[in-house]
Amino acid sequence: MTQSADGRPETPAEGRTSGAEAAGDSAGNAQDRGARTRGALSPHNFGLRLSFRVFLTASLIVAAVVPVAVFGGILLEARLDTDDRVVVPLLIAGIVGAALFGVGAAAVAVASLTAPLRRITIAVERVAAGEPGPPIRITGDDELARLAESHNRIAAESQRRNGELAALLSAIAGYSPGQGVEALVAAAESDARRIYGLIDSQILLVDPTTVPLAETIPGDPRPVRTEVRAGREPLGVLTGHLPATRTWERADQDLLELFSNEVGVALRNAELFGRIETQNARLVELDAAKDEFLRSVSHNLQTPLTSIRAYVEQLRSASPEAAGDRRLAIVDEQADRLTRLVRQLLTVTRIEAGVLRSQPEVIAIGPRVRKAWEAIGATGVSFELRDEARGWLAVADPDQLDQVLWALLDNSVKYGGSHGRVEVLVSSDDADDRLRVTIADHGPGVDEADRGRLFARFSRGAGSGSGEGTGLGLYVSRQLLRAMGGELWLEPAGTESGAAFTLWLPGERPGDGS
Amino acid sequence: MTEPRQQRILVVDDDPNLLVVLAEQLRDDGFEVSTARDGQEALRRLEASWPDLIVVDLTMPRMDGLALARQIKAQADLPIIVLSAIDTADSKVRLLDAVAEDYVSKPYHYPELRARIQRVLRRLGDRIPRQSLVLGPKLTLDLHHRNATVDGKEVQLTPTESRLLHALAANLDKVVATETLLARGWSDTEEAEPSYVWVSMRRLRQKIEIDPDHPVHLLTARGVGYRLVQTDDPVR
Repeated sequence: MTQSADGRPETPAEGRTSGAEAAGDSAGNAQDRGARTRGALSPHNFGLRLSFRVFLTASLIVAAVVPVAVFGGILLEARLDTDDRVVVPLLIAGIVGAALFGVGAAAVAVASLTAPLRRITIAVERVAAGEPGPPIRITGDDELARLAESHNRIAAESQRRNGELAALLSAIAGYSPGQGVEALVAAAESDARRIYGLIDSQILLVDPTTVPLAETIPGDPRPVRTEVRAGREPLGVLTGHLPATRTWERADQDLLELFSNEVGVALRNAELFGRIETQNARLVELDAAKDEFLRSVSHNLQTPLTSIRAYVEQLRSASPEAAGDRRLAIVDEQADRLTRLVRQLLTVTRIEAGVLRSQPEVIAIGPRVRKAWEAIGATGVSFELRDEARGWLAVADPDQLDQVLWALLDNSVKYGGSHGRVEVLVSSDDADDRLRVTIADHGPGVDEADRGRLFARFSRGAGSGSGEGTGLGLYVSRQLLRAMGGELWLEPAGTESGAAFTLWLPGERPGDGS
Repeated sequence: MTEPRQQRILVVDDDPNLLVVLAEQLRDDGFEVSTARDGQEALRRLEASWPDLIVVDLTMPRMDGLALARQIKAQADLPIIVLSAIDTADSKVRLLDAVAEDYVSKPYHYPELRARIQRVLRRLGDRIPRQSLVLGPKLTLDLHHRNATVDGKEVQLTPTESRLLHALAANLDKVVATETLLARGWSDTEEAEPSYVWVSMRRLRQKIEIDPDHPVHLLTARGVGYRLVQTDDPVR
């Protein structure tokens, strides 16, 4: 047993016995009503599963035949004694005739009663199955005719709502967040008119409580209204007018709400989409501004730097005293350092702009490494270069290779610890015609956590202190090497302490002048 | 560099500080130097006298280095070295390939710039056709544009490769010593070794010969050097 909405104990639908009870029960929800309707169409049957038709036929026959038979029986009982040979057969014939007539009349009555019922049943079943057929045609003004008429009306409305639902779904499917809020509002307004047959419709994206309810005036177009929500958040209100002749029921309002909720979700998506688009555009703008700033700063640094370097060089070459002046040497070194930094920044802007270009030349890599080491001017760090690929030449862009070597050697000095020792091994990979340069230091090495993001932009090792270096060296080096057909990686942590980076470059075997 | 007279260099740059110091540096090394602050001034100086080489900045007001270089090249094959701040505008640098002999980026090291200038001056007197040089049915060189047409396909040459071919083409069918090629292809500061020439020749054959193992145009004079020959036989 369940409790119905009004609190009365509710019996299961199967237990309902008569349509009268169902009809008299105005309470209960639609499902309940449906259940009762099914119950009313299926009579008591005395526990037997007889069809309504058989039951009705049997009832009528019983109703027609039993009184005749009882009457005949009484008469026969009374008259048989009289031994009236005329009356008795007549009586018997009369009784039998009456009984037969009763059966026949019952059959005709049942047929005329159940035929329209069957038609109604079939029609209802078709509607239930979603394939409504033509309206049922039953003449007259009796209960069956009214039943048929209300069925026809329900079927027509169900068909109309199904049509509305289909139109609604296809309209919703057409909404794309890229359309933008305004276009979506316009589309939804026109769809609402088309789907629900509204005279006019309007979506106001305002607080729904600020839009006054329209008054219903008999004879005038009927106002409809629903809130537009995205989930629970009210976005606005959809209002419009129906022709005065149109009915508007709860189911219609439900359909309109379904539509307006979907519109609400689409509007919210469009709004978010628009916001993301704007943010993306802004980010692209900022990124371009960043690149342009970086480019112009580094470019503008080059002009004064050029003069500084030229004058220092000239001063240092002016006299033996000047050449040995430590102060001038420091200015020279620092100007060089700044130059390398500016080059690196410019390389980053080229990589970012996708215009990095390599001009490959043949280069003896061992001497190039030594020159790069001299250029970075590290003091207090021992340097060991082992060249096992003599005669081999690397194929690389000389300027770009220098940038890579500066960055890697600079790192090995920076992270090499207080008793720095930098070891470089140049070797060849004869099978693949490649050259390999491994640069190893004896510092603390690279933390396991840092290994993954080591080659990302602005990535600094934990040991680098605050803000030392640009965090661009390894990123730029790897990009440059890749542009030259090479590669750069960090060797796995071995038994020895320190970090070891290996760079690969295409190589040329030693030539012999032939 | 065997000529007794001073070689003349015109330096064009919009930074007066740089003009002063660079002119002094070059004069200290025995060059006769004139300067100009922009392209128009440079063209006026050219009317008065014709230098052996021009060092030009790329970004200048009024007329930029590229426009100036084009105007000069339209009149004569005057060697031009671009001395400019590196820019992201790589495409501009690429356009320079056709007009400039070399490119030195700012801030420069003077010894490097001087080495490049000397290398360019070494080839003064080398004359090759301004347009294309047909070496055979399947090889045409266009060294001013740093490319070769091999069996109908265009092949890009590196600056060094085109300098080497330039030296060989100026002495067509004659052996050019490895040492000479080394001096033409690389500047002194690059510390190039003979193997640079050997390997570069091998790479060049891969580019311009139909069968690199049996070259017909770029031949070895064993122990001496190389020669570039004109021949109608595409293969040997």
